[in-house]
Amino acid sequence: MMKIKMKTAISKMRSQSWKLVLFVAAAWLAAIAAGQNLTYRQDPNWQPPQAAAARSNPLAQNSGAAGGGRKLFLRECSECHGQEGSGRKRAADLLLPQVQKQSDGALFWKITNGNDRHGMPSFSRLPELQRWQLVLYLRQLPVSASTASPAQRE
Amino acid sequence: MRTVARYIFLFMLAALPAWAQESPYFVTYDHHLEEPGNLEIETQSNAGVPRHGEPSYFAPYIELEYGINTRWTSELYLEGQSRSGDSTIFTGWRFENRFRPLAGEHRINPILYFEYENINEASRIQKEIPGQAAEFDVPNSESRHIRAHELETKLILSSDVHDWNISENFIAEKNLSHNEGIEFGYAFGISRPLRTIASAANCHFCRENFIAGAEVFGGVGSTHAFGFQDTAHYLAPALSWQVSDNSSLRFSPAIGLTSKSAAVLLRFGYSYEIRGFKDKLAGLFRSKP
Repeated sequence: MMKIKMKTAISKMRSQSWKLVLFVAAAWLAAIAAGQNLTYRQDPNWQPPQAAAARSNPLAQNSGAAGGGRKLFLRECSECHGQEGSGRKRAADLLLPQVQKQSDGALFWKITNGNDRHGMPSFSRLPELQRWQLVLYLRQLPVSASTASPAQRE
Repeated sequence: MRTVARYIFLFMLAALPAWAQESPYFVTYDHHLEEPGNLEIETQSNAGVPRHGEPSYFAPYIELEYGINTRWTSELYLEGQSRSGDSTIFTGWRFENRFRPLAGEHRINPILYFEYENINEASRIQKEIPGQAAEFDVPNSESRHIRAHELETKLILSSDVHDWNISENFIAEKNLSHNEGIEFGYAFGISRPLRTIASAANCHFCRENFIAGAEVFGGVGSTHAFGFQDTAHYLAPALSWQVSDNSSLRFSPAIGLTSKSAAVLLRFGYSYEIRGFKDKLAGLFRSKP
């Protein structure tokens, strides 16, 4: 009798723990769906502090470093921004004049801090010089002719 | 036959791929989360040689890490254990979440960590060792029947200072199955890439592909007995090597610092990152053009 009672209690506990696991899994999936950032929109509020924007690239005179920047770009950025940097559904077109007219310091700050609201991760795990290499490489991308201002086309 | 099947299972755990440009730490967490939509598959193993002649053990585990968004990373662990002269068993699973409460980079970046563990006392992956040190002389046939449903939290503080990463983890763990009080532990790590500028060439053995560091971790007792008595502590140099754009290897030998610690722990990890996993998965269900 005691054994039967024990078995019933164990099977009840098992069924309850499965219900709990299913509930947690469902809640987790719902939270994931809510946490996704599916489409890209420009964020006018994503602005670096003045001091950060004023920083100059310590590799500006080292054009050879851009080769390393291209390698890093293909590894770290091309999944979202495309191999040519022209952007995809959920990341900015880096060839746009709005991007290219930003200062080196501003681009460095954006790579370092990311933008949570728009799904851009922080790349602070890269050493500082490698983030400047990325900025150097971004400067070598051609500015989009279709949307560039006359001054930028020249 | 069952033992052979178990060894094959453990081998499969150890042979599956696991992530890219990782910090070299095995125990300490830093503030860098998985990128959104990426899935990292990692296999790690922890081999331990106890100090007082108890059987050595080998504990492999698989880790699936997914970046849900820029401030939230979720992980699932499946773990096993094989003990010299004893059996090979599955020891349970863990589900972990890390949250970044502050946007952007700061001098000190806090991360909140929550984990649920459904494991048994045979678990030897030693991802953290809060409370008192584990007993190494209990055979698997006994320890596997002692279930442990545990909740674990960590406060992770991490800073990047001139390309050095300095991380501090403060750990609190509550076993829901047994009254052990709340157990406390710590892990501290420091690491740096061997070269901070990237070369243009695609090279495997460039210094930029290596990150070296060291970590120290251990327990500080529990609410029942707080302090260093009967606790284990380890000092572990660590090295990670980015083998390719999306895979890396890690290695760390840890030295036990107290009589309750194992003499040596040897850890290996291999990780493979599937970038844009979410998009790739969604692509499978997209209508054909």
